Amino acid sequence: MNTDQHGYKSILLRHETILFVVLAVEWIFFDAVGHNFGTYDNTCDILRHSCEIGLLALAMTPVILTGGIDLSVGSLLGLCAILFGKFWRDAGMPLPLAAACTIGVGALAGGLNASLIAWLRLPPLIVTLGTFSLFRGLAEAITHGVDTFTDFPASFLFLGQERWLGIPAQALVFIAAVIFFWLLVHRTTFGRSFRAIGFSPEGARYAGIPVGRRMAMVYVLAGIVSAIAAIIYTARLGQAKADAGTGYELFAITAVVLGGTSIFGGVGSVHGTLLGVAAIAVLHSGIAHALLPGEMAGMLTGVLLILALAGSTLPKMISGLRARKSTPRLAKQIP
Amino acid sequence: MKKYFREISVAAALGILLLALAVFAPSFFQPQPLLSLVTREAPTLVVACGMALVIICRQIDISVGSQFAVCSVCAGLFAAMHWPLVLVLAASVLIGAAFGAFNGALVAGLGLPSIVVTLATMVTWREGLRWLRQGVWVDLPNGVQWFGLPQMTGQWTLVLVALAILILLALALKHFAIGRFIYAVGSDAEAARLAGIRPRLMTFGVFVFMGALTGLAAMMNTIQSPQVDPNSGTGLELKTIAAVVVGGVAISGGRGKLWGVFAGLLLLACISPALTHLHVEAYWEKVIQGAIILLAVVTDGLRNRRKSI
Amino acid sequence: MKQLLQLSAVTKSFGAVRALKDISFDLRAGEVHALLGENGAGKSTLIKIITGAHQPDGGTIEIAGERVGKLSPATARKLGIACIYQQPALFPDLTVAENIGLRLERANSLSRVNWKECRRRATELLRRIGADISPDAEIRSLSMPEQQLVEIACALGTGARIVIMDEPTASLTQKETALLFAVIRDLRGSGVGIIYISHRLEEIFQLADRVTVLRDGESVGTYFVGGSRREPAQMSPEESQSGRTSAARITEGDLIKLMVGREISQIFPPAESAPGEIVLSLKKLGCTAGGVKNMSIEVRAGEILGLAGLVGAGRTELARTIFGITPADAGEIFLRGEKVQIRSPQEAVARGIAYVPEDRRRHGVILEMSIAQNMTMAIHRQLFPGTWLRLGVERACALDFIRQLDVRASGTEAPGHSLSGGNQQKVSLARWLATKPKVLILDEPTQGVDVGAKSEIHKIIRRLAKDGLAVLMISSDLPEILGMSDRIAVMRGGTIAAMLPGKSAAHEVMSAALGQKGGAG
Repeated sequence: MNTDQHGYKSILLRHETILFVVLAVEWIFFDAVGHNFGTYDNTCDILRHSCEIGLLALAMTPVILTGGIDLSVGSLLGLCAILFGKFWRDAGMPLPLAAACTIGVGALAGGLNASLIAWLRLPPLIVTLGTFSLFRGLAEAITHGVDTFTDFPASFLFLGQERWLGIPAQALVFIAAVIFFWLLVHRTTFGRSFRAIGFSPEGARYAGIPVGRRMAMVYVLAGIVSAIAAIIYTARLGQAKADAGTGYELFAITAVVLGGTSIFGGVGSVHGTLLGVAAIAVLHSGIAHALLPGEMAGMLTGVLLILALAGSTLPKMISGLRARKSTPRLAKQIP
Repeated sequence: MKKYFREISVAAALGILLLALAVFAPSFFQPQPLLSLVTREAPTLVVACGMALVIICRQIDISVGSQFAVCSVCAGLFAAMHWPLVLVLAASVLIGAAFGAFNGALVAGLGLPSIVVTLATMVTWREGLRWLRQGVWVDLPNGVQWFGLPQMTGQWTLVLVALAILILLALALKHFAIGRFIYAVGSDAEAARLAGIRPRLMTFGVFVFMGALTGLAAMMNTIQSPQVDPNSGTGLELKTIAAVVVGGVAISGGRGKLWGVFAGLLLLACISPALTHLHVEAYWEKVIQGAIILLAVVTDGLRNRRKSI
Repeated sequence: MKQLLQLSAVTKSFGAVRALKDISFDLRAGEVHALLGENGAGKSTLIKIITGAHQPDGGTIEIAGERVGKLSPATARKLGIACIYQQPALFPDLTVAENIGLRLERANSLSRVNWKECRRRATELLRRIGADISPDAEIRSLSMPEQQLVEIACALGTGARIVIMDEPTASLTQKETALLFAVIRDLRGSGVGIIYISHRLEEIFQLADRVTVLRDGESVGTYFVGGSRREPAQMSPEESQSGRTSAARITEGDLIKLMVGREISQIFPPAESAPGEIVLSLKKLGCTAGGVKNMSIEVRAGEILGLAGLVGAGRTELARTIFGITPADAGEIFLRGEKVQIRSPQEAVARGIAYVPEDRRRHGVILEMSIAQNMTMAIHRQLFPGTWLRLGVERACALDFIRQLDVRASGTEAPGHSLSGGNQQKVSLARWLATKPKVLILDEPTQGVDVGAKSEIHKIIRRLAKDGLAVLMISSDLPEILGMSDRIAVMRGGTIAAMLPGKSAAHEVMSAALGQKGGAG
């Protein structure tokens, strides 16, 4: 754990700046090359399509900051989507109530992850691998694999398909989430403790930080956000199916790491994640508008990710070599 | 035999499942469908063996699904060009090994975290393949499927090959020094370095080997049908990681036995057909899979807690 | 008698701190040579030099009569030097036989493992040291003493000629210790030279042929031990020529005096007022996980209670129990007369207890975070009401402490790892002072800190006591304990061995810590 912290701030700054430059380059390039790319309509479109993944990436950021990971958010999105449909259609709930119940389910699911990871101290990768399977399975089992929920009222579909005040309606939810998470991570003591836990769970504990509670918090939040994303997804597509959100978790993780958050925890930012989401979304849209094969977007994303990783490791390696001369303490105990 | 507690419990769970099937759904035990099931899972077993090594070495590789797909398609293409099947096999293995080398170079050489590296390569190879193939299946010429042998012979060959690989690998791990080196590196890379082992070389090698096995498995999969599906290998990484973890390999590295992985894979693979024969909807498969994974990791956690106090 | 090892005029410094000065040490074949000294006297540094982990700044090392240029861990191993540490360096997930095999062989990857041979050799080695351990047992499942025995088996197996044992009996039972001694005598009989580090004087007298006492990085003398086989009158010509080993046989009391005898030339800030009411009171406190039992002590406001004892006496474990890291399962804690339950660090902090930990780099400071962030880490609730960070307030708070404690850093945003040890310690201290505690537990507050900073920290501690804090100071630095404490509690074996007044003599403290009866004559 030899991250150069002055380094940590300046790398972050550098990382995000570079990412911002990449984003700008993408924009300019595709605007020039693509048809109808740089238009307001298209920008709204990009925004509309990246809301759900953006939400998941936002929720994923504090999880990864604490040194954990959550592979189950995509599956949970699917489960919440069909439960939302079921609450509304089969249980006859009014939509707002169905939404509230869905969010409750999301919180409970997040709570399942939280209790296994934060209290039983089990490895997050495997726990969320298990719940990844479990949630998707429940979604499929409840709908018998075939049931879909459609015919939502127009007032609801407005959320996913129309604009309000000139921007896509769901973007308002997204912006609210951005503000919430940015403040949480960067301006509250919670965010500070997430980083401490990511850098050193033991060190955080000795400083009196309630490590178990904080870790539980990030997973429950992820669950709640997955539920919200599920509702927006349903509104956007006009239907809820069990396969909703397939593959979203990997997208979210990619955006977070691209944005400069270290998979080991401690280092990272919400604005970096935002830039990561934007870079990927713009890339996909731009490639489509440039009439290039869509798969190229995926490939370039992979390449970008590796470059981003390598880029943030190199300075660390260099400063690590420089900091090799450590002052050993007069040992009280023989090692 | 407290040491093999996990492997034995998995085998026991499998036994109970089979017993229950024998009582409630004896139709499960018809030879031909059973053979087909086992043959279908044979390539997965091979990949799971490789994954076990990777995880024992305290790394992870979530790009195996994409590697598998690319190797399958390449094998299909070479076969369609009427290459001798031996060469096709060699090509598939080499391509897989190349992918593995790429992963290994980034992880061992640059010290990048394996989960993110393999996430990136997974996306890149998968999208690259989709771009090149556009989802078009590869038609295989006659004589490729089952090596031109009758189906049952071909099936038995594949099953035996998979089992042979499992046994050879298990024996090699146990009887050759390199096996212990891998466990040592996974247990404590720094202590291993001090003991004269080279952790980075081991890590690199493990990824290359994983890739080679994936290539082999891809070949084993290709010859099972007259066509190659460019989407083959979807979900392979999760299947194999689940089998490995359920089978007793700790995600923290340094421990686990291949025959536990075998039992884990069988257990997970039997769920789907078992559900069919018990007239339960197939969609419960993922639920049960997830529950088994969680059960496995919870019991691990509880046992470790007791030990540490 | 063959000379296995000879160190001449060896010196070693770490930055400004001088760990060893002009050390001469020799080891003969077929001898047990004990190494004695307080914590921090330089024993570990000496051992690290012999095993090649550190390079000496000056002096020479000869092994088997031949001068060695640069000793690395690998060459030391080849030359037959083995060291058995208190923390065994084994692979937890592998079996005993596998560990021994890995240690003994320099096999290349493709060589076949002969499991029968491997198990046989492991069984043989374990049998020779009388260890009742199965070669197929996983290291993880073995207790610490058992793991140590495996380490000894490894050393035996590598055919080492020079075996260093660092406090090997620290966690062994009587029976295991007896077995170990038998093994050691066995090794000695076969010509192996053993360097034996221990605080247990009775062991030294039972086992050792000679003993060297280190104090503050210097060798205070090498003596024959009473239980030796040889009479001093039969000193060989080389010995009398080298003049290094004194002919006199040493007694326990003399040894203790040698270990601690020095002038306490440091000046410590004196106590200015009498202690007030009892703030912290422990009654029969125990924690099985930490090995603490039956601790009953009291600390008053304005008082510095020094907690002395050897490594492993249980002082840090006691601190961790009071602070809630390993909560107590027996006894009671009273704060200002009120009984309290402390089950987590948060509860401790809420009650006004602060703990400045011993392991500065892992527990005291989060190295990757800034000074300001570290200093405010325990006072989020007070400094940032409503969880809203106020960076301006934080910076002001940090600047205040930087000024108060004279922390040398490039700014409030400098990361923890850019600071020297002493300054890191000040940041750690600042973090806990910011909580305005009523009870302050300090664990080795000036360890690894340079002399100037030490003195500053001492002044700060005394000032805090004067302001009404109850201070419990754990220290292995005898002058510090003697100079700073108003009273001294000596721990041994997880419980109190003695309560001494602040103006005690050094050897009284040491005797109590070692478990010797009364003061030395």
